[in-house]
Amino acid sequence: MNSATYSIAGGDYENGGAASKRLKAILKKVGADPKAIRRAMVAAYEAEMNTVIHARGGRMRVAVDASQVDVVVEDEGPGIPHIGQAMVEGYSTAPPEARELGFGAGMGLPNIQRNSDRFSLRSTPGQGTQVHFTVYLTPQTAAGAAVNSVAIAPDRCRQCLRCLAACPTGAIRVREGGPRILEHLCIDCTSCTAACDAGALGLGADAGRERDAETVLVVPGAFLAQFGPGAGPEQVLAACEELGFARVRVLDAWEAALQKAVWAYAQDESEVHPVLAPVCPAVLNLIRLRFPSLLGHVAPFLTPWEAAREECEAARMTAVAACPAQRTVLSTPGLLTRLDVVSPAALYNELHARLGTDAAAVPPQAGRQASACDALQVSGIRHVVKVLDELEDGQMPDCAVLELFACDEGCFGSPAWTEDAFVARHRHERSAVVPVDGAAGAVRRTRPLTPRGGLRLDVDMGRAIEKLARIDALTRALPGRDCGACGAPTCAALAEDVVLGQTDVRACIHLEPGPLEIPV
Amino acid sequence: MRADNLAREIGAELCSAGAGEMAEIERVYAGDRMSDLLHEVDDHTLLVTNLAHRVLIRPIELVDVAGICLLNGATADPELVAAAAEHGAVVMVSPDGMYETCGRLYAALEGRKAGESRR
Ligand code: SF4
Ligand code: SF4
Repeated sequence: MNSATYSIAGGDYENGGAASKRLKAILKKVGADPKAIRRAMVAAYEAEMNTVIHARGGRMRVAVDASQVDVVVEDEGPGIPHIGQAMVEGYSTAPPEARELGFGAGMGLPNIQRNSDRFSLRSTPGQGTQVHFTVYLTPQTAAGAAVNSVAIAPDRCRQCLRCLAACPTGAIRVREGGPRILEHLCIDCTSCTAACDAGALGLGADAGRERDAETVLVVPGAFLAQFGPGAGPEQVLAACEELGFARVRVLDAWEAALQKAVWAYAQDESEVHPVLAPVCPAVLNLIRLRFPSLLGHVAPFLTPWEAAREECEAARMTAVAACPAQRTVLSTPGLLTRLDVVSPAALYNELHARLGTDAAAVPPQAGRQASACDALQVSGIRHVVKVLDELEDGQMPDCAVLELFACDEGCFGSPAWTEDAFVARHRHERSAVVPVDGAAGAVRRTRPLTPRGGLRLDVDMGRAIEKLARIDALTRALPGRDCGACGAPTCAALAEDVVLGQTDVRACIHLEPGPLEIPV
Repeated sequence: MRADNLAREIGAELCSAGAGEMAEIERVYAGDRMSDLLHEVDDHTLLVTNLAHRVLIRPIELVDVAGICLLNGATADPELVAAAAEHGAVVMVSPDGMYETCGRLYAALEGRKAGESRR
């Protein structure tokens, strides 16, 4: 990997573009595709000129490998008071001399977004602005990000079929060879993981990762409540700090920042109500898949993990993911900050050893302040689906902000943990590890969430319609018991699988022998 | 149409010598805002602009512009011409303003396409 830092002088129009030029030389050296180079250059040059035009000065940090280029351009400038506005094409605060040279047409930021594969923007008025973008250099990198992250251990499956009933999107099939998850339907909600006693559907295990003085460890608040009554979150945090990382941070800081930002957004900006807070990535997946008409209700911010990642300035970050959904949002690779996503189990033993097992009661601490906003928290995927259904039907709950979590009791209920959700939540709530982490902020989402397409039955629309009709007819011919014995969650799901050639209709144990009559 | 032929058809003067003159120009984008120009660049697009010549050097260096057409009989900045030669871009100067120049370019490119499809 190549990395470099270039400085950018504010107001120096003559030399504006010099940093981008040096980045281009690196990209050419690694043999990047000319089209990818052009995209990277448009984005880099726009970001560089933003610094030249608006700031006293700044720098461009770049990192390049064979698959992508990551660029951060940060400046000491006035900052952007309204990021939402700045992203609107045509909005500009550039001085006349910049406009004379053809800059400041308010297209810079949208242009960076259009020419990059990931893009985020952070700004503190009075301090400066940071633009972070990534351009994928190969089509494979673009396609490489995970869609979901439930790990399957097929040989553990006992064919009990509980997961079939648990999955809210009908994404599972259990046939010979164990469970299979249909990628386009899975929303990473962990309902199946929680339902499977056999451990066939889980989080996957990680090898212990290296750690050093350049690595920041970030853990969810719930993680700190997993070590029994003898170890309060404060002690666990202290023990984490002895593990050899440069710094330990708690995700609660970003959750709190997000909550605040969403509340302000609901009060001052949003035109629709209630506002859905983007806290749980599995719920966002659900909305994209099943409730795309509600996407406009989602406040335009990154989820806490995504924000933590964007804001991380350390060279490496180790993230303890509470669930597959968190793992998935962290799955796109970054070069400027190397990211290791680990499951909680990777640190359990070590921390347990440090904490000891004696359950000397930990005195309850001052506890947390209840938040001042009118937010309704709903947790557990069934409840979430119900609330979203109602919202879609126009029944508005009486609250300004809805915080929806796929797991019971929010992240405390992830099957990744060892402690019961209620126990852990109580322990967490009465502890004093309140996020007093000024550096954590909410990060605006620059690219809107888009509906997630389901499976296309056929690339040809005519044939797709024909298949749809066959699925319909076959569904009616099946007994309609939705028993799951065939390995599909419903008769309709089996019919679809049969028409798509993935299984035989004889998988249904209720069919009479002999030819099947399909009404058309 | 090849860039040098296109320049001749619209009565523009070619300023850069080199490989850029052989570029196949398929479309034209006219504008005076840098972001728009950057957004429209590709291997077969000629940019028509009133922008100052020196700020155009960067796009030539950075995004592989196929060609730039300056307007109103301007004298092309030598550094711009040098950058174009180095990066295989063509620079031409039209004696007219943007409106007339674009009209001629349109006639040259689209007229020819129409002729081809009639044949
Ligand atoms: S819950 Fe699903 S994956 Fe787990 S044992 Fe039962 S059938 Fe197999
Ligand atoms: S994670 Fe959720 S959506 Fe995905 S297969 Fe399991 S239960 Fe279904």
